[in-house]
Amino acid sequence: MASGEATQGRPIADTRRKLGGRERSLGVGRFTPYAFIAPYLVLFVAFVLYPGVSALWVSLHDWDYLLPNKPFVGLENFIELFTAGSPTGGFFWQSMQATAQFTLYSVPPLVVLPLLVALLLNRRFRGRNFFRAVYFAPYVLGVVVVGMLWRYLLDPNIGVVNYYLERLGFPNDIPWTNGLPWAWIALTGMTVWWTLGFNTAIYLAGLQGINRDLYDAGKVDGATSWQLFRYVTLPGLRPVFVFVITVTLLASANMFGQSYITTQGGPGNETRTAIMYIYEEGIVNFRMGKAAAMSTVLGLFLAVVGILNFLFFNREVD
Amino acid sequence: MGDDRRPQARPLSRRDFLVSTGAAGAGLLLTSCLGRSPETRTGTGGSSGAASTTYEGPSVTLDYWNGFTGGDGPFMEKLVERFSTEHDNIDIKMNTLEWGDYYTKVPQAVSTGRGPDVGVMHIDTLATNAARNVILPLDDVAQTLGLAESDFAPTVWQAGIYNGSRYGIPLDVHPLGFYYNKKVMEQAGLDPDAPPTNDDEYRQALEEMEAKGIQGYWMSPFVFTGAFVFQSLLWQFGGELYSSDATQATFNSEAGVSALTWMVDIVKSGYSPKNVGQDADSVAFQNNKNAFIWTGIWMINAYKEVPELEWGVAELPQIGDQRAAWAGSHNLVIMNQRDQDENKLQAAKVFINWLTEHSLEWAEGGQVPALADVRDDPKFQDLEHQSIFAREIDYVRFPPPVPGIADPQATLATAVNEAVLLKEEPQAALDAAATKADELLRENAEKYGG
Amino acid sequence: MRRYLRWLSYAALVALTAIYVAPFIWMALTSFKTSFESTRVPPTWLPEEFTTHSYETLSRPASQTPVFRWFMNSMVAGIGHTILVVVTASMAAYPLARMEFRGKRVLFGLIIATLFIPPIIFLVPNYLIVDGLGWIDTLLAVAVPGAAGAFGVFFMRQFFVSLPRELEEAALIDGANHFQIFTRVILPLSKPALATLAVLSFLTNWNDFLWPLSVLIDAQNLTLPPGLTRLQGAYVTDYSVIMGGAVVASIPVLALFVLAQRYVVEGVARTGLKG
Repeated sequence: MASGEATQGRPIADTRRKLGGRERSLGVGRFTPYAFIAPYLVLFVAFVLYPGVSALWVSLHDWDYLLPNKPFVGLENFIELFTAGSPTGGFFWQSMQATAQFTLYSVPPLVVLPLLVALLLNRRFRGRNFFRAVYFAPYVLGVVVVGMLWRYLLDPNIGVVNYYLERLGFPNDIPWTNGLPWAWIALTGMTVWWTLGFNTAIYLAGLQGINRDLYDAGKVDGATSWQLFRYVTLPGLRPVFVFVITVTLLASANMFGQSYITTQGGPGNETRTAIMYIYEEGIVNFRMGKAAAMSTVLGLFLAVVGILNFLFFNREVD
Repeated sequence: MGDDRRPQARPLSRRDFLVSTGAAGAGLLLTSCLGRSPETRTGTGGSSGAASTTYEGPSVTLDYWNGFTGGDGPFMEKLVERFSTEHDNIDIKMNTLEWGDYYTKVPQAVSTGRGPDVGVMHIDTLATNAARNVILPLDDVAQTLGLAESDFAPTVWQAGIYNGSRYGIPLDVHPLGFYYNKKVMEQAGLDPDAPPTNDDEYRQALEEMEAKGIQGYWMSPFVFTGAFVFQSLLWQFGGELYSSDATQATFNSEAGVSALTWMVDIVKSGYSPKNVGQDADSVAFQNNKNAFIWTGIWMINAYKEVPELEWGVAELPQIGDQRAAWAGSHNLVIMNQRDQDENKLQAAKVFINWLTEHSLEWAEGGQVPALADVRDDPKFQDLEHQSIFAREIDYVRFPPPVPGIADPQATLATAVNEAVLLKEEPQAALDAAATKADELLRENAEKYGG
Repeated sequence: MRRYLRWLSYAALVALTAIYVAPFIWMALTSFKTSFESTRVPPTWLPEEFTTHSYETLSRPASQTPVFRWFMNSMVAGIGHTILVVVTASMAAYPLARMEFRGKRVLFGLIIATLFIPPIIFLVPNYLIVDGLGWIDTLLAVAVPGAAGAFGVFFMRQFFVSLPRELEEAALIDGANHFQIFTRVILPLSKPALATLAVLSFLTNWNDFLWPLSVLIDAQNLTLPPGLTRLQGAYVTDYSVIMGGAVVASIPVLALFVLAQRYVVEGVARTGLKG
């Protein structure tokens, strides 16, 4: 971790000892820390701890919040997910596949393109901050506005995109929102547009954190731009890479809004992501037990991916 | 010049469908309370008469939710306004949500105790909502209004009964119809005023079109319109969706396989492109590339708005051994309020009664009254398209009133999708879906107490 | 050669900017078109007939799509949420950064661990909890549960840990109690971090979609994201109104962004560095 570990680390109790153990009411009463933490803790227990446990509990039942009876079904909800030919299982893995596809399509561009843009921006020139802000701006708008906007622009019949494609000589009726593979291209493109600026800002900060001396030394040794990039920039960006990849991976794996708003999970259910299906099962169809079970499975998947991600990047430290 | 694309409503999504069942809404109106002049009342003891059909209590406001967010909305609004002016002590607050949101939000609202008082629901959702205590039984309302099965087609009447009680008063019925593009038919040398009425004629027409290089009947693999077509055909071939006790799916019977095979053959024979996109069949119909489409009465207004589209509509051709057509139906329901207010309840019944009485006005919005007297009314006969749909009343079919029926229906949609896209053979696809459906039926029976 | 490359890269940046700005311009222009023109083929950039009908439609009082009401709801929920986060997270982060007490490691570990749990797991159980509290269809449901997230605590703790101790120690010697130290020494020093946390929390809450979609019901109680999807459904063929709603939702946030850009962008960047 960057700056920050310099002067602290010694808890205040130490200070008290240093002062010769004088009996001053130094305020680290027995309860002080707890008093500070209490308000947050109330929230944490109520909306994180308890629901976390309760999620597992719900997943072991056939839970419809409107019916008085919520029969215990043990691991049936989980088993059903792994049973071939089961109703929910089929749809669930289809939605997991959609999530996987989206992640596969969106993560590489979102890792590479922002880096390129950051490299372009990594110079002192007029308007640099302006550009950075412009690319970042869509991110503050949230998925609904972005989704609605692109839904309109990509409409197969009245959208501007198809109109200009036609002017350029391409077919004018590409079904961006309800045909394959166009829907995937649309979703990926839209997401890249939306969050490129976010990743660019992070890369930019990372680039600026690389010691200039390294570059100067390299140039003195006669290194080419490419060599500088490869041996100074990339290694210097390592922690930033980890962050960007992790964040982007998680964001893609949790994709909901773009599918919901722009393609409605279509055509058919092809772009219905795991989150979208879990929402449908749990909130729309009131099958909360199954939704909880599916969330758990998805969570485990993401945990495994996260751990693999972590191991992969930490392995390279040698 | 140059661009002959028409300004079109955007491709209908799944949600839109549910919207547009209300939208462009022509529906079949099947209440007898229409034209409620004493002479036409079918006799039964509608005795408790006036006392139960007027409201004399203190002023109340009724929250009335429905899904008429499309073209139907304004007509319902007008009706509601009229009701409010005619009834000093009842104020109606109407709230519209898209049907997809509606079925999620209404139960949520009811469970918080802040739900609506009156609403509209599709007939195939009544059982589910009844089982989940979202709506109340309406037997006394039906009795008060003097409604009996004889006033409705039996299927519509039966489909609203769950666990021995009636849960909805039908407001309209919206069936599937056979639309044909006259221009395309002419191009193939077919008589644009004589659409095919049975399997032989249908195939004949398709062959003649194919000879001229026209793909005459685009087969949609999606719920709109593929799954509706399948169900219509299944019933035509004498099959049923589910066993009578609703414990087993029977759509994979011989009849089902015949139905699905007929659809797949259309694709294999080249009468339809493969991989028809969502709503692409409708768009092609509007662009004079597709001659036939079986879709709902709700498309009437949409097609009317397409300039230069020459089209007609007929009853569904009888491909199988009998006539049958898929249909939906809007029903009026009373919500299960946590603290039931007697006054509001009474007011709600008055409102429902009034709405069914004024179905003629609702019909003017583009519905088809089924009451014989009103159908014979010259004003209705003038409605060229709706009157044709009215002829299907006697043989429209609905899914059985079983809670959670939407779940097995979803597996059916998948089977149709896979077969029409030529990914699976019809028998295999239907069998796989039936297995899943049986599982779902079993689970739902357990959950809802059968 | 260098020069050429420079111009080239500048051109690339400008081209990219066009890709970013054009859709917004399109969105804004469409909101001033008639409904027919908004779906016309071929499409037009500048409205041939300039009209504010979409905004008028949106501001009708009896509307089923009260966009301005949604805006207020989003504001109230966002501000409430932000205050809650900033207060509770900084208060909780302080002992975690500066004090020793029983259970500190366990607690901190637990909090950090939850950062890795995908939020979808909490959807259904939190729905049930919020239902039990009677908060369904209220802004409380939108503002409060999100404040339990671990990010704020983590972020402020990292920051507090980086503060030099001298001022605190001096204050201690002067006899101040911890509450006073917190409010008079720590917080004033933490303004940039608090500002960043506030802006990020506000943005996250403002743009929250799945959760409000699940817990809000009545049109009057919606926040902008679920409200806009209802708008999209209600005005399926009138894109001028839909884009008008999008404009109403975008302008204030963009304005905030322009003003607080430094905090937002650099805050995000700094989070990335700390990894």
